[in-house]
Amino acid sequence: MKLVTCVIRPEMLDAVTNALDKQHVVGVTVTDVRGFGRQKGQVEHYRGGEYTIRFIPKVKLDIVVQDQDVEMVLSTIGKVARTGNIGDGKIFVIDVTNAMRIRTGEKGTSAL
Amino acid sequence: MADTILQEPRTTPPEGTSGGERSSMQWLSCMIRPDSLETVTGALDAIGVGGMTVTDVRGFGRQKGQVEHYRGGEYTIRFLPKVKLEVAVHAQDADQVLTAIQHAARTGQVGDGKVFVTELRNVVRIRTGEKGPSAL
Repeated sequence: MKLVTCVIRPEMLDAVTNALDKQHVVGVTVTDVRGFGRQKGQVEHYRGGEYTIRFIPKVKLDIVVQDQDVEMVLSTIGKVARTGNIGDGKIFVIDVTNAMRIRTGEKGTSAL
Repeated sequence: MADTILQEPRTTPPEGTSGGERSSMQWLSCMIRPDSLETVTGALDAIGVGGMTVTDVRGFGRQKGQVEHYRGGEYTIRFLPKVKLEVAVHAQDADQVLTAIQHAARTGQVGDGKVFVTELRNVVRIRTGEKGPSAL
């Protein structure tokens, strides 16, 4: 199993979750986060002053999937979340050693 | 570090989804005091860490929260507000980043937080579709 964690633009959330839904990805955890990447935040101009917004609001999606579905999830998110501009975000793939469905106690991939 | 990544050749296959082999990237998830955030991001910036994700979280550790006294009553604040920092790094930089976080986030008091390190199998830069360490 793998944890796919992606940081995307907040306005892409609906499009991405709809696309994942179509691919039968059944569970997603969404968190409002802030962060920065290469650009170190953006510079805004307001009333003649220059302000650096260091942490930009983003949305983080956590999805746990079986190994064979990782590439499908990566390409789905990669396609839908992309505008081609800086700030599209990143996707990280992390090993998951085990999972448990709390209600039933099922473990492993059947708990997904 | 961050500026040189683009030019670096890929050192591992980008897929990295099969498991088994050691990953060349690591994922640091750190819980720190909210007031240490600026110091820590400053320290990471100084050693060239190119990006991070910050979340407001709450949690407790060994101390199970703290006891507050208010108007004669005793209240246990079970979940303390913390900040979670997530950083993806090249495996060879992980120790340097850990040291930087420790120096910046440490007060010596209970509640300084923890850093969890996991293997990062793959990274995709959404804008370009780049995969693997070069996408960091």
